[in-house]
Amino acid sequence: MAKAPSILVVDDDPEMRALLLDVLRNEGYEVAEAKDGTEAVLAIRARSFDVILMDKNMPGPSGLDLIPGFRRVCPRSQIILMTAYGDVPSFMEAVEKGAVEYLFKPFRMEEMKTAIARALGRDVGSRP
Amino acid sequence: MNRPESAPPPGGWRSKLLRNMTTRLVILLMLTLMIITGVNDYLRLTRERQRLEEQTQEDVRIFSETLALAVSRNVRWGRTTAELKELLDDILARPGLVAVTIYGPDAQVVAQTVAAEAAPPEPDQTVRDTLKSREASADLLETPSGQLLRYVQPFRWPGGRTGAIEVRQTLGNMERDFRRAVRQSVLSRLVVLALFVLSVVALTRWNIARPIRTLIAGAQAVGRGDLGQRIAIRRRDEIGQLAEEFNRMAANLESAHAELLRQAEERLRLEQEVQQTQKLAAVGMLAAEVAHEIGTPLNVISGRAEVLGRVLPPEHPERRHLDVILKQTERISGIIRALLDYTRPRRPNLRSESVLPILGRVADLLLERSRRRGVRILLELPTGLPPVRVDPDQLQQLFLNLLLNALDASPPGGTIRVTTGTEPLLPAEGRAGILRGQVEGPCLAIHVLDGGKGMAPEELDRVFEPFFSTKGQGTGLGLPIVEEIVRAHRGEIEMLSIPGRGTEVILRLPLVPEGAGGGEAAAPESAGKVASHGD
Repeated sequence: MAKAPSILVVDDDPEMRALLLDVLRNEGYEVAEAKDGTEAVLAIRARSFDVILMDKNMPGPSGLDLIPGFRRVCPRSQIILMTAYGDVPSFMEAVEKGAVEYLFKPFRMEEMKTAIARALGRDVGSRP
Repeated sequence: MNRPESAPPPGGWRSKLLRNMTTRLVILLMLTLMIITGVNDYLRLTRERQRLEEQTQEDVRIFSETLALAVSRNVRWGRTTAELKELLDDILARPGLVAVTIYGPDAQVVAQTVAAEAAPPEPDQTVRDTLKSREASADLLETPSGQLLRYVQPFRWPGGRTGAIEVRQTLGNMERDFRRAVRQSVLSRLVVLALFVLSVVALTRWNIARPIRTLIAGAQAVGRGDLGQRIAIRRRDEIGQLAEEFNRMAANLESAHAELLRQAEERLRLEQEVQQTQKLAAVGMLAAEVAHEIGTPLNVISGRAEVLGRVLPPEHPERRHLDVILKQTERISGIIRALLDYTRPRRPNLRSESVLPILGRVADLLLERSRRRGVRILLELPTGLPPVRVDPDQLQQLFLNLLLNALDASPPGGTIRVTTGTEPLLPAEGRAGILRGQVEGPCLAIHVLDGGKGMAPEELDRVFEPFFSTKGQGTGLGLPIVEEIVRAHRGEIEMLSIPGRGTEVILRLPLVPEGAGGGEAAAPESAGKVASHGD
């Protein structure tokens, strides 16, 4: 079995983080977490991730602010941004800055899995 | 009350009469006419009286001469005194005759006839003079019964001597004739005068008073605000010209008034539109805030329920609880989504526009408010600025928000400068700043600088947060709306401030690419690839 894809979850809400980690770990991904931009930067300096699942609204630099830096440091990482429903300007900005996927909260876990699978360039139906 | 009242002065009817132009004119004309005709009549009547007198004298003279001839013959034929008296009595029947006396050469009365009421004449100096000089004489005698005309005519007495005949005639007839003439003259003058007055009154009424009253009514109607009022006087004289000018003035007033109304309506409509947008934006911001705040916990709940749902076998008896949780979280999401969809600002309808007319409209909209606050808004923008890709309505709202903030920050007597240029107007030292959005490629920068008290860096950091306001009375939505519009236009907005010196907002908007028309905004290419909320 090939090495499981790695995912970094960046969210300031511990419950949300815990949920995402639970679900993703259950799906067989290799997961890491960061509670804000600073921790995230430290994490991607330490190692590379296939997918970065990041909240837009965080204390300090926002998810949008972080995208360009992430794109430079780890251009291979696929960035998925999460934000509240209806935040269309952020959505457009995120797309411009290089996020590949976008999730409006609240989203269903199935939706998230589909988005991650798409970011990884895999068949939506297949499991890692 | 010390308001001057136009109360009628004492002798109200008189002043009322004199206030009427027609009456004044008529009285003046009447007086003039009366003086002229009066003098004329007086002269004419004097002449008439003289003529009558002369005529009476002439009558008496001829009568006396004739009588003298007859008496002379009778005397020569030797008629007795009684016979002569008979002759004279017949003559006395002549109207106006008072007395006829025949004097002999020694001034003795030969025969005499006297009207009943008159005193018999006696020979006097005049008679003696006539007898002596043999020349006729005439004079007027004053008697208690009025003036008498006396005529003394000499005639030949037998024996080469001279007798005289004296005729006394009352002037009563002449007086009566004269009085009649005067009466007739006065009467005819009065009739003429009355006719004249009537015709003058009618003419002035028809020609002056009526049209002037029409003009007054028209002016009053216009004064009351009935600007559609026109005066129907078709004449070529001055009154006609006045009416024509009046109508032209009323027409000009009407069109100017209509234009003012139109402008006021336009301004009101714009203000209502702006208010409506602000209101919707407020609700939208609140909804977005709520969505942000509860999005995460809701996601945690629904996510955990989903996880549980996968673990529990489908036939598990308590599974229905899970379904309820999932359904209810879905319902909450639905409510927030509906609210956001309702209040979300529409996507900008981008086209090639020049900012100057938009700024001009906004400055015009704020004219009254800025004047009240004693703040000047200076648009220091050259014409011929390159066009930008904007939604004019949204840009108008953006400028309105920026200028409203600047107005609120400006002290009385202050100035708000709106300029263009690459460098900030505020100096670098002591300056803090915050930037939102990001512009790529060539852009147009618009600076709005106020001379207000400025903001501390920690205040500046929060200005784009919804519901944050330094004004104490604002909604705290002005700048978040501005930011949203700027981002939707793919522009950027920078806010610089020096406490105590003022705040400068720099708006940068992408220019219309060379060779590109002002078409619809292209949807982002990658939009289809990006996951949106699945439903």
